[in-house]
Amino acid sequence: MPEYLVKENALADFFQVLAKGHRLLAPQGQGDNCQLAVVSGPVSLNYANTHLSPKTVFFPQTEKILAFHKLADKPHYNVYQDLGDHAEPTVIFGIRPCDARGLSVSNKVFQNDRFTDPYWKGKYDQTVKIGLACLDPSPQCFCAAMGGSPFGELGLDVLAYPKAKGLGLKTLTKVGEELIKAAKAEPTDLANELKDLEKKAIAAQGPLDDYQTINKRQIMELYKADHWPNTAEPCLGCGVCTFFCPTCHCFDIQDEANEIGGLRMRNWDTCMSPLFTLHGSGHNPRPSKTERVRQRFMHKLKYIPIKQDGIRGCTGCGRCVVMCPANIDIRSVAALMAQASA
Amino acid sequence: MIVNNPYLPYPVRIADIMIDSPDKSLRTFKFEFLEPEDEKRFNYLPGQFAELSVPGQGEIPIGIASSPTEKGYLLFTVNRTGQVSSYLHNMRIGDVMGVRGPLGHPYPYPDLKGKNIVIIASGFAVTTLRATVVYLLHPDNRPDYGRITFVYGARSPGHLLFREDWQAWQKRDDIDVFVAIYKMVPGWTGKVGFVPAVLQEICPPAANTAAIICGPPIAIKTTQPVLFEAGYKPENIIMSLENRMKCGLGICGRCNVGPEYVCKDGPVFTLAQLNELPPEY
Repeated sequence: MPEYLVKENALADFFQVLAKGHRLLAPQGQGDNCQLAVVSGPVSLNYANTHLSPKTVFFPQTEKILAFHKLADKPHYNVYQDLGDHAEPTVIFGIRPCDARGLSVSNKVFQNDRFTDPYWKGKYDQTVKIGLACLDPSPQCFCAAMGGSPFGELGLDVLAYPKAKGLGLKTLTKVGEELIKAAKAEPTDLANELKDLEKKAIAAQGPLDDYQTINKRQIMELYKADHWPNTAEPCLGCGVCTFFCPTCHCFDIQDEANEIGGLRMRNWDTCMSPLFTLHGSGHNPRPSKTERVRQRFMHKLKYIPIKQDGIRGCTGCGRCVVMCPANIDIRSVAALMAQASA
Repeated sequence: MIVNNPYLPYPVRIADIMIDSPDKSLRTFKFEFLEPEDEKRFNYLPGQFAELSVPGQGEIPIGIASSPTEKGYLLFTVNRTGQVSSYLHNMRIGDVMGVRGPLGHPYPYPDLKGKNIVIIASGFAVTTLRATVVYLLHPDNRPDYGRITFVYGARSPGHLLFREDWQAWQKRDDIDVFVAIYKMVPGWTGKVGFVPAVLQEICPPAANTAAIICGPPIAIKTTQPVLFEAGYKPENIIMSLENRMKCGLGICGRCNVGPEYVCKDGPVFTLAQLNELPPEY
């Protein structure tokens, strides 16, 4: 797929065309307050990453999935009714490559070998995803160590990057190509520049190569390692890591009702909570935070790679590293998993 | 409107409710589909489960106690435990609610063809095994399988479910039925003792035989050594797991045992498979 250029003075028009017939979501705000939102002000190109990952677009924190009423004299009494997938044609501009990789991982969970989640699929299929490569990764970034790249393409339709006077674009899918053509970007050759910039951005990240070792170890060897109680010791069980993680996809389903009817809702949930796995009998398969913390890291670094051809469940976005109130750092945990022997 | 929404339950009517234990903690519900086409879509085999969906209360994953050879209805035995099951216990014949499924994998019937099968049930976990026996004994299926042994134990005679079924099986010559209670009570003529002890007494030889075990964790744990002693290999010991669940589709994340989801990849696993996985169940 070819490359394109949008000059600085044509950027405003470019974003207008992207918004035509679509809802355009792009980074709004600066620095730590940057968030993907419906464009109402200037599109920010200067941010490390958005505060929340783009999973919120496809998998809202809370979502109405079904409805029912309880009036016995009406048809469909006590019968659940579908509320649709709440999807609309959308273009997202400015997804960082780590987050795009995260969407691709979650997509394989929501559309797995047996079932398709219609609420995710509806939104995912109707969204064109334009990434924004990272020229200058932040200190908390480690995408390359997790198998990605600051210029990674997985999960994207178009990869963009800021140039001194404008925006460079590489189209990756047919949908992306059509959209960029419609936006009248100028075709050009950026292949060498992209290669050079990617090399520099990867070099800016510290090396970390624990994953190969983790990959070779059996599940039970990693699971039985003796570092887990220490690793979990500082954890407060707050779940902020799961809230910010671009690949955390766990949810709860709850009915909310009054005397005439109600809704079935799905809400984000967290494996850091003891209630997450508590049986009706009182038995809990993950009774203490040692098991829960182990579950989270094993899921990201061992279980997901087993199920997704080696693609890790951590994309190196660094949000959990920054947000954790107890300074638990997945990079250190990966190093422990690589060192420890059962 | 979403086509084939796996979250949308089929509407069913409670056709019958059977109170199954003296303390009334167990009730078996018989459901009939409101729409006849839904019964065709609900294409299942014993060992699978479904989410019982009570409007305003929520959902509970329960093993299917009926066999697909029994047309026109579904059976589920529900232990009164939490919000949904307690509410369900107070519902009445004729009430409308939802059933979502079938979910999970059945027992591995194609692999069991030509083999002898020993079926071991403790307590109210007998449900999917009752369905299995009904399915295996059906004239269409019975010739495909070897000797069938059914071992079933419960606390007291009152806690033994599906009495009419196993009493009828006791009269047949193509299945060996051993039903036990844990402590002798006057008038009981069957076996007395915990399931592992009963199994030890009557355990069929391991050659060309698979065992299916269902029960509370303690029963499963204490039954395994008996099977090992009789020469059963882990790949021929089949178990059904339970974990807290919501979606039943391998997405909501809570029922995993290592990389496997009990809902989507299970609930049926062999002991050989479980030996490679964390014991988080």
